[in-house]
Amino acid sequence: MNELSANHFLLLSSALFIIGMMGVLIRRNVIVIFMSVELMINAVIVAFVGFAWEQDSMIGQTFALFIIAVAAAESIVGLGIIMALSRRVDTVDVAEVSTLRD
Amino acid sequence: MSAEVLVFDILAVIAVIAGTGVVLARNPVHSAISLVVTFVNLAGIYVLLHAEFLAVVQIIVYTGAILVLVLFVIMLVDQDDLPEFHKGKPLQRVFALLLGVMLLGEFAAAVLTRTVVGQPGPWTEENVTLAGGNVQVLGQFMYSGYVLPIQAIAVVLLVGTIAALALARPEDMSRRPRARQTGTISLGHPRGMDGTPLPLPPGVAAARQSPQGEMRDGIMIVNDAESYTDTAAFEYEYATLGPQPGDRKRNITGSEGDE
Repeated sequence: MNELSANHFLLLSSALFIIGMMGVLIRRNVIVIFMSVELMINAVIVAFVGFAWEQDSMIGQTFALFIIAVAAAESIVGLGIIMALSRRVDTVDVAEVSTLRD
Repeated sequence: MSAEVLVFDILAVIAVIAGTGVVLARNPVHSAISLVVTFVNLAGIYVLLHAEFLAVVQIIVYTGAILVLVLFVIMLVDQDDLPEFHKGKPLQRVFALLLGVMLLGEFAAAVLTRTVVGQPGPWTEENVTLAGGNVQVLGQFMYSGYVLPIQAIAVVLLVGTIAALALARPEDMSRRPRARQTGTISLGHPRGMDGTPLPLPPGVAAARQSPQGEMRDGIMIVNDAESYTDTAAFEYEYATLGPQPGDRKRNITGSEGDE
């Protein structure tokens, strides 16, 4: 691995994805879980761009842009849900919010 | 070991360390700052991959918009609502660690044993430069073959904005304002409100028959406002029931001190 190859980027992507996944599994703060999900989304984008670079293609970058747009919409809704959660049940702890009703 | 690999290693190691910091930081604000570091390093890696536009979008959208939004939410959420750090659940942590290590092994095995299949596309570095650059090529791609996804994204963003507005709206704004209680306050009424009035004592009634107005169906019809409202409701009560025990002496201002 003396030359830069797509394997580098795939390994970085999997490392970031697993870090994000463990954040979702371990942490109980909804805000930190949200940030871990953002980390996982970025790991996927790295994989997309790495494959696009390896294959001399532009489709990977286009898809990455779409992913960023969808992630922006997701973050808006997610943060709105966190706000509503904090206001309605006075907690952002996922262990305490286990039901869909009040 | 080429310079590219060295740059990649530096960026990747910092990104992974900062990503670990996101998960392990005690304070959510520190998590957010670690996330900023990760995103900026990933933007550097996109530059390394000749995805310059994506790097700029990463900086603007992620570190500029989303992270600021996250920080706002951290500030807005009541600090008492935050859960205690790693309170209990050691089993969950052990399982997560086990799962992570297993998944990392799987990913590494899959990546290191994979073979490249398929034909490489036409967009080598030279062709991208000939076509005008990364932004030009991406623009051609997105606005020729991907017009429908672009419009779908527009709808998604619009719906997301509306959903955020509906979710973050304060509770009492969602309640409809009640119909305003309407009632008449008639000048001629002894208590100032409609309803069945107490019968006037004979003397008072006689005094009020003239010249100010007349009683009709429990409503005093007055000639003008001043002629009747100088008699307050408590004064009428006083005149009807007399002084009550425990009452403070009230200063009755009758009509020109004829009390």
